[in-house]
Order: sequence, then C-alpha cells, then structure tokens
Amino acid sequence: MKPAEKEEESVYKRVVLKNASPYQYMKICLVLEDESTRLSAVELKLFIISGLRNLYGEVGAALNFDLLKYDEDTLTAFLRVTSRGLVKLWSSLTLLGSYQNQACAFRVLQVSSFLLSLTGNSRDLQLD
Amino acid sequence: MSVFMDLNVVYSADRSSLRTVIETAAHLGFSAVAINYVFEPTSKKKQEIPTPVKINELIDQLPVVQGRSRPIRVLNRLTVVMSDSSHFRPNAAEYRCFDLLAVQPTSEKLFHAACMLYDVDIICISVTEKLPFFFKRAPINGAIDRGVVFEVSYSAAIRDSTMRRYTITNATCLMESCKGKNVILSSAAEKALELRGPYDVTNLGLLFGLSDGDAKEAVSSTCRAVLLHAETRKTASGIIYTTNSQQEAPGQQEALQEPADCEAPAAKRAKAT
Repeated sequence: MKPAEKEEESVYKRVVLKNASPYQYMKICLVLEDESTRLSAVELKLFIISGLRNLYGEVGAALNFDLLKYDEDTLTAFLRVTSRGLVKLWSSLTLLGSYQNQACAFRVLQVSSFLLSLTGNSRDLQLD
Repeated sequence: MSVFMDLNVVYSADRSSLRTVIETAAHLGFSAVAINYVFEPTSKKKQEIPTPVKINELIDQLPVVQGRSRPIRVLNRLTVVMSDSSHFRPNAAEYRCFDLLAVQPTSEKLFHAACMLYDVDIICISVTEKLPFFFKRAPINGAIDRGVVFEVSYSAAIRDSTMRRYTITNATCLMESCKGKNVILSSAAEKALELRGPYDVTNLGLLFGLSDGDAKEAVSSTCRAVLLHAETRKTASGIIYTTNSQQEAPGQQEALQEPADCEAPAAKRAKAT
C-alpha cells in the first residue's frame, strides 16, 4: 500500500457495523424514598451488582458493565454494557426495589447503542 | 402504535398517595391507568361490592402525559377474587359502575369457567403463591377466542424475592400455553416507587418468556383491546368509532397557496423546565 493512501485512511475513518453494535449505553437515574441519601459511584456499582446477583446468580454478577459517568447530586449515571447483557442488566435494574431498607426505583431515561445519542433527549423538546 | 397503559393501580384510601402514583404514571409515559378495587368475598357473611370514587372527586387536575401533551386517562376497575362460583354474580348492577371487570380464580374449575363463560375483561394470574393448578390449553384458547386477556402484575416481584420467583414461574407457565397472545403486564402498584416505565415493563416481559413484539403489545395494543372489549360488554354487541375525515376549508386552501414561510417544519426548542 502506498503511504499516501495510508494517510488518507487515517483522516477519514469509516466504521461499518456489520453485526449489532458491541455496546449499549444506558442513562439511568436512581430515585430513593429518602431524597437526602447520597451514594458514591462505588456504592452504586455494588448496588447494581447485588441486583444482578439476586436475579441471575453468580453468572449474572459476572456480567461486564461499566459505570462511565456518575453525578452524585442528581443520582444520574451512564452505564455501558455489552449488547448481549442489556436485557439482563435492564431487568435487574427494573426489579431492584429497595436500597438499605428504603424503597427505591431506577428510572431508565435513555438507552442507545451510541453514546452520543445520550447527550440530548428528543422527548424533552417542545413543539412551537 | 397505540399508547401505553397500566391497567392496575391498587386503590388506597389515602388520596394523596394515589394522586402521587397517577402523577408518576403520567410522568413515566402511561396514557391511561385503571384504579383497581379488589373485592374478596368470604363465604361467612355477605359483603358489599365497593363503589368507585369518581375520578373528578379523586383528582382535580389530571396530570399531562410525558411526551404527549395530553392529560392522562383514569379508569375504574373491579377485581373479584373468587374461591367459589357463587362469588361472581353475572349481570350484577354494582359491576356496571366500573369500566373494567376482572376476576382472579383460585381453582382450576373456576379458571375454566372464567375463561369460557364469564362475561369479564381480564383474568388475573396469581403472583403471590405457587399456582394450585396447571394451565390447560382448552380454556386458554377459549379465552383468547372470546377476547378475554390474562394479566400478570409485577410489583410483587419488586417487593420480595420469593414473590419474584412465583411471578416468573407462573408467568412462564402461562406464556407456554397462550404463546404470548392476549397477555397484559400491569403494575398493581401501591406506591409510586413500585411503578416502572413502559419500556422497563416491556423488557421485563422478555424475562417472562414473551417475544419482543408480544412484550410491547402487552403494555400497549392488548390493553387497548381490553378497553374496547369492556365497552362492548356494556353495549349490545359491538362498538363503532367514527372520526371526521380532514376536510380542507376554502380559507385553508388559500393559506396553503401562499408562498409561505410555513414550509419549514415546526421549530423545536428545549423545554424551559
């Protein structure tokens, strides 16, 4: 291959996903009964893993997911999970109902296979 | 696609908590909820069938559904828990005050009767105990032919891990027999934090053994079918909806011919809130 072509390749990078995309991204928000409770990022991840373990056992707890970003004030987090694990992770989030003996609920705000799509929500737009 | 509905929100005497639940449902994107009055007759003494509280007494200003800018629709529903065939009285006048009528049979014989004979809209599947009977194909097919639907509620699964096991077991048993047709998923929530969004419920449907399409139908178009079935129950045999077809008034046509600045689609802007 000529070096010039190589350079061009590096300028334009075209990504074609032949299969389903490898990751899914979720934007979630934790709603707690006592709104003054604060969680750290580590506590949140442990809580989600405990939910996975409750529903799917050790195999579920081994599911590979990442907490990309977490805002402690609004309890909003971005999760990245492999596409295969989305249904498992989502259902365990749905069935999580209590955190340290207080009622809680995960509100799944957005799910997308592209992280960029989570920057805006078309449902929050108002038609003029 | 038809709108999302949650046809089971448990009635509580505490008005403010019920109002919070309805507001949360609207915020999550449900376009209709049904307030459920549970009636459990015991053989000892005669009990009164509850009368529904009028919606406008219950809540003055109906909250707006998220993303639809339309107020939520609130219905009344009665669930009769049957342990004896005398508990369900067909054509009882008290049943007419309710928009939806459901039964929860507790034995195989009653389940068969509910599927084949009773004039109801919904048959509740118990999720708090192991099923005392097997689902047989014949009554379930009969129910599907008559347009009666089966309901699985999920909030017990959120509350307790044993209940979760029973919910999943009973739901998968049902799905094996009915193949995902005529099933609705509803919350049976008592508190706002027990409600889940429509897409969460769809995903939960996959766990119960529904296919992707059936799971979505279980919170949307099957629920619509239930409401229409309930209306046919009140009338003679059927209902017809008519809507005005769009007619262009002469004034409008002129407006269209103007080389207007109306070519651009409606502008969108972020909500102020």
